[in-house]
Amino acid sequence: MAHEGRPTANTGTPARPAPVSGTPTSTARPSIAIRTPGSQGRGLRSQAALGLSASGRKPAPGPNATPHARAAFRTLDSRRAAILTPHRARRRSLRETRETPRSLLLNLGRVLAPTTEPITTSSSSPGSARSSETRNADTILEDDDDDEEELPKRPRLSLPLDADDDDDSPLRPHRSAGLEDENFTMQSIELPRRAATEQPRLSLASARMSDYYFNANELRSEDVGIDSGFFPQAGAFEEDNVDFDAEAYDRLDSDAARADMGGRYSDFGMVIPDNMNESTFVMVPQVQESPAHQPPPDGDDESMGENEPFDPWDGGDDDMPPNPDDDGEGGGDDDDQGHLSRLEDRSVSPDGGRSSPRPPETDLEATSSNKDASSGGKVTKRGKKLSKYGIEYPSLPPAVVKRLATTFAKTSGSKGKISPDALKAIMQASDWFFEQLGDDLQAYAKHAHRKTIDESDMLTLMKRQRQTNAQTTPFALAQRHLPRELLQELRMPPPPPTKRQKKGNAGAEGDEDVT
Amino acid sequence: MAPGQKLYPRGTVKKIIKAHSNCNVSKNVDVTIFLDYVLFMQTLMKEAAIESKQGGERGITARSVRKVTEKTLAKFKG
Repeated sequence: MAHEGRPTANTGTPARPAPVSGTPTSTARPSIAIRTPGSQGRGLRSQAALGLSASGRKPAPGPNATPHARAAFRTLDSRRAAILTPHRARRRSLRETRETPRSLLLNLGRVLAPTTEPITTSSSSPGSARSSETRNADTILEDDDDDEEELPKRPRLSLPLDADDDDDSPLRPHRSAGLEDENFTMQSIELPRRAATEQPRLSLASARMSDYYFNANELRSEDVGIDSGFFPQAGAFEEDNVDFDAEAYDRLDSDAARADMGGRYSDFGMVIPDNMNESTFVMVPQVQESPAHQPPPDGDDESMGENEPFDPWDGGDDDMPPNPDDDGEGGGDDDDQGHLSRLEDRSVSPDGGRSSPRPPETDLEATSSNKDASSGGKVTKRGKKLSKYGIEYPSLPPAVVKRLATTFAKTSGSKGKISPDALKAIMQASDWFFEQLGDDLQAYAKHAHRKTIDESDMLTLMKRQRQTNAQTTPFALAQRHLPRELLQELRMPPPPPTKRQKKGNAGAEGDEDVT
Repeated sequence: MAPGQKLYPRGTVKKIIKAHSNCNVSKNVDVTIFLDYVLFMQTLMKEAAIESKQGGERGITARSVRKVTEKTLAKFKG
């Protein structure tokens, strides 16, 4: 390294450059001439410009170089590299740590198989006379090549896609199976109670799987076909029918799936008699009691048909705890379920034949209307609302709210447009705000044993809301947010009471004018 | 910044507060109350604008307002 700095390397150095200069090759010459310039940086730059390696030489000494020259080049290169590599201390330390296991292996290999050579692949350069270090480098490179070769294997993630196709087919049966399992479990839970009551009905179990077909057929015995049972409903109640049809078809599928899965079905077959009892039991009381319970058969049939799709599952479950006699209760439940839809349907298409089911519906209607009244009970006839103290109060006029909202919406960056829905929401929010404000102010006033909400209450409130603090006085806020007319009347923060009185009078007059 | 030149309905505000608090309201409190309301509206609209922007909506919608209302009310709880 010392001799590199010298201006004339070929003349002065006896030890190192001797072989180099001794070699008459043309390749060694320029490298020496380049190496001579003073600073290393300059030399590096010029070498880079000449297309030489960073070590300052051509990578290989050339075929003509003597072994001595090669060795000299190698040592020089290694030294240069050692000098010129940045952070060499760090690298060296890393290298050592990194190579320790490998060096162990290498030593072992040298001892055990001194004559073997690394298997040279076609990709690796055929340098047979390389040192162990270069061999190491080669092995590393080969490893890298292997990794790169392995890379293309990764994108074979497409395999799962094929698996998905396979998955799809199992999925469908699985869903229905799950549904069935739920239903069956529910039914199976019910089993023990039902089983004792009616066993002769077991014969019905044979046709069983279509639970509610059964019901429908039995309930209206006149209706022969299933479709005939459904379609009249479609004519009568359009909205309900859509839903019911959907449910019906789902159940059909599930039934079909159930039938398809013979194994499971057979498994349940052991339990089925009980199930059958349950289902038949559910249906039977309805059939039997319906005439007694409902004098006009037409209306009943329609109503029952309407509710039928619910029954096999919901109705059955509901009926479970009470005994079969509770047909009236079951009917009540059904009414509860369908009452909303029925109300809508009736408004859409009233049926002349449904005179009997009306009374409960009217009751329900009355209750619902009562509910509406109770829910909206705050609103009085004039559109005013009642506070919890029973005092009427108007809400802020929407125009004012909208004006404020648009202003602040503009200032907050978005367009000043506010949809009616949003305005409604804002009105609701401001109502709540005033309610909360009133509560808070009342609490403050009561705490001060006053019956009047005072300025001080409001100031305390704003301080607690962290709207005002040492930096922002309420007056500054008012100046920023309130029109000047209001500012005139606001100059109160800590004013003497007499002053406030005067301005209060002025404000009162203004109040009456405005309102 | 002052929202419009038209005054707000002072009597209405007073009535609202009186109904909610079951207390009398002194003369000029309603101005401060209205100021507080203005601040509330400012916060509400700011939050709603942020919310609607986050939700990718155009302009302020009822959904964003409703979402933000509770938070803002809590902020203005005395």
